[in-house]
Amino acid sequence: MPSTIDTYFEKLERTRMWRSIFRSGRGSSTLHNALAIQQNVFLHLFPTKVRKRMVGLGATWYLGTLTLGTFLLLVITGILLMLYYHPSVPQAYSDVKDLRFVVSSGLFLRNLHRWAAHAMVFLAFAHMFRVFYRGAYRAPREFNWVVGVVLLLVTLLLSYTGYLLPWDQLAYWAITVGTNISSAVPLIGDKIHFLLLGGNQVNANALLRFYVLHCVILPLTAVVFLAVHFWRIRKDGGLYVRESEPGTASAQPQPASEERK
Amino acid sequence: MQTHKSGFISSIKAFVCDPFRMFGVVSLVLLLLLTIAPAKDYFSEWHGYQRQYLNIIRNRGDAITLRRHFEGGLHQIWIPQLGVVDRCETCHVGLTETSLADVKEQPFRAHPAMPHKLTEFGCVVCHRGQGGATTVNEAHHSEMAGEEPILPARYMESSCGQCHQGPLEGTPKLNRGRAMLSRYGCVSCHSISLPDGTKLEATDNPPPLTHIADKTTREWIYAWLKDPTSYSTSATMPNFALSDADASDISAFLIANSVPQPGDQVALPAQGHGPAADPAAGASLYGESFCASCHAAQNAAGNLVGGDLGPELTNVGTKVKPEWLLAWMRDPQKYDPATPMPQYRWTDAQLKVIAGYVQNKSNPDLLSNVHLQPATRAQIAHGKQLVTEYGCASCHEIRGVPKPDNFGPNLSRIGSKPVVQLVFLPDMEHSLPAYLTQKIREPRSFGSTFRMPRYNFTPSQVEAVTTALLSLTDRSYSLPLNLQVAAVRETKYQPAGQAGQIMTNLNCLSCHRINGHGGDMAPDLSWEGSSVQRPWLDEFLKNPNTLRPALIRRMPKFNLTDAERTTLTDYMMTVYQTSSFQRDEMPLTGYTPEQVEKGRQLFYSKYACQSCHMVNPNEDKGYIGPTLTKVGARLNAAWIFHYLKDPQAMRPGTIEPNQHMSDDDARALTAFLMAQKTGAGQGAK
Repeated sequence: MPSTIDTYFEKLERTRMWRSIFRSGRGSSTLHNALAIQQNVFLHLFPTKVRKRMVGLGATWYLGTLTLGTFLLLVITGILLMLYYHPSVPQAYSDVKDLRFVVSSGLFLRNLHRWAAHAMVFLAFAHMFRVFYRGAYRAPREFNWVVGVVLLLVTLLLSYTGYLLPWDQLAYWAITVGTNISSAVPLIGDKIHFLLLGGNQVNANALLRFYVLHCVILPLTAVVFLAVHFWRIRKDGGLYVRESEPGTASAQPQPASEERK
Repeated sequence: MQTHKSGFISSIKAFVCDPFRMFGVVSLVLLLLLTIAPAKDYFSEWHGYQRQYLNIIRNRGDAITLRRHFEGGLHQIWIPQLGVVDRCETCHVGLTETSLADVKEQPFRAHPAMPHKLTEFGCVVCHRGQGGATTVNEAHHSEMAGEEPILPARYMESSCGQCHQGPLEGTPKLNRGRAMLSRYGCVSCHSISLPDGTKLEATDNPPPLTHIADKTTREWIYAWLKDPTSYSTSATMPNFALSDADASDISAFLIANSVPQPGDQVALPAQGHGPAADPAAGASLYGESFCASCHAAQNAAGNLVGGDLGPELTNVGTKVKPEWLLAWMRDPQKYDPATPMPQYRWTDAQLKVIAGYVQNKSNPDLLSNVHLQPATRAQIAHGKQLVTEYGCASCHEIRGVPKPDNFGPNLSRIGSKPVVQLVFLPDMEHSLPAYLTQKIREPRSFGSTFRMPRYNFTPSQVEAVTTALLSLTDRSYSLPLNLQVAAVRETKYQPAGQAGQIMTNLNCLSCHRINGHGGDMAPDLSWEGSSVQRPWLDEFLKNPNTLRPALIRRMPKFNLTDAERTTLTDYMMTVYQTSSFQRDEMPLTGYTPEQVEKGRQLFYSKYACQSCHMVNPNEDKGYIGPTLTKVGARLNAAWIFHYLKDPQAMRPGTIEPNQHMSDDDARALTAFLMAQKTGAGQGAK
């Protein structure tokens, strides 16, 4: 049986269609493996070669990966929530109530979104602490640190804009207070306030604006900066592992300068 | 212990550092989560209630029927037109099962009989609460996000008032509360607009204070301002809790601001009156003139007896000056053109008797402790400032103080005010009804700077006003047009010509209603000309009498001159006719004995009219309806005929049943009734 399946796969991999999709071909050489990563649109941002010690828990505690994981979870649950939610004043609150009371597992979906959001903010901070205290922000990674700071801001803005969407009293006053803080900016404060709310009050326009920010503008910004973030990891020589860390001494010196292109 | 701990740590390390093991455990956690989600759905509150319901109906006699009606799962009433999504029936399963009337346990009780269908309006339109929720706490009590918590049952009538702007038979509390908003002058300060664009108007008819010094003394004003109820327990004027100095200043300003008007006072007869007047004659004239139909007075037992159209007269002698009273009795409209009091046309002798009798209704103790110093200019100025600050001119006409617009907050949508926008006192229930109740009962308890005065309302009155206020909701503005039931509006009808002048002078419309205008104390006269015979009307105006044995007569006898009476009678016979039939299309006399006999039989057997009416005063016992012993000399034949055919068409709201008589029956009964001319019970058994 196994041999039959193997032959079947071999046949399949030889078909024209297969080869047009997976162009690296068969093989297990280093070059072949590198090509498999490089020629994949989803993976080409990552280093073509990762040493095992870099992906050990001790190196990163997986904090960046977990942040990405919560982000993906938020995108999936967010899209599902969008199927039920209307960003309009008369309906927003009752839609949230519908999710809670009548949509099958709607409460689970909403709670998953909420807790994942909290977790993402927490993990992003933890990730940045880890990077900071390990000194991983230093050259040549200083640009990626800045990208990371932007991503942290986007994360916080995502969290804040999502807060208004249930359209209850808690949301209403949180946004009222938050946007009033923005009007304290010298000279242009009132303009920023007006721009954020699409008016002078938290109302239908503000709800729509925050919805678009939360569901379109900010996630797209996050995706763009995430792409840059991962690409810079590859360009800056992969995940940072300090020289003094166990396993580093025996390792080859990192060919950072070579890989920077 | 140490080894155990290090073993624990190492096992953690082994677990975390082994990606395969970690992947497995995380997958298990995810699987667990995925089973929790549907389990939570299954063990939700409403599932529990539905299982409980099935247990309850299992052992009942009608179990099979009930089981057939029962359908598990979420239920909702969806009415897009009203924005209603009510899932209450998910837990309140037996709401429409009338056979469950004996089940007292909620949420399974059957709904009491109601005028609307459940599917027509849903639940929250009347009960409030959050229809979309399926847990008790969220559906009934949540309020922090601006939702309305469930309305206590004692205010339920307010919900009817969202659509029905006029009085309804089934909502006495709401009707009373609404009438109070007008009667106690609430709407003079607080503007209340209705969804149809009209405004609630005050009906308390507060007296103008322009000539107040002609009428009463500064001492009385002071005592009245300090506490209106000490003078009359039924006072509609509220208590402003004024300090002695403030009350003294306001009374000084009102007296100083008053201008005398010629004719407001007349010289008293030389021999004087008052105690000298014959009290027995006074009491009898007071009774004959039916003063008590409008004015109340305390009797010996301390109970208030009489109507509430005019002011209470228990202590009126302490208030009014005798010169003014005499002038008022002679012609009330001279002092206050808008008064509902008729001009009685008393003779000078009668005036002396009645004025003396009324003047004697006094309580000297009331003012015995009031000693006011003459006011300074500064005090009068301060008095004027206070009058402006307290908004006195919202109700009273005061020279030099314009009527303020929107003196108090607008209450047009007070019934939808979110709880989060209210400021509560410590230890107070956080709900809109509780807030309104406290605000009406003790307005100043929310702070001494509040200007709203205190009314002396009983708890049931407070509840009625609260109910009326709760009916003023946002929903009543967003209703589809076909659901708005506007109130019947007063027309501006005024009788014309010479007769119209007499009717205005007699204030007929204070009690009678004509063409949609006037009071409801006495019969509607819109079609009086079609209804009665001229000689009877003439005689009635000369000497009014009651038509119903169950009622005391209330129409006063005005000393009309013959000319005035003829003018009035002519006008009413000519103008107040219905267009639905000709007055003389049936003869007043000339009915055959056979017809009369047939009518008699119908009267006594087929329709059993004697249960409410009397034809033979010696035999018949009916006392609900008018006595018919002389009806043949009172009513027109055509009126009787058409009235029998369809009573409600002739007199809307009458309790006379519509028997759907054939023309023959109605004609025979008319013949029988027209034979009753002298009161001897002709043709009766």
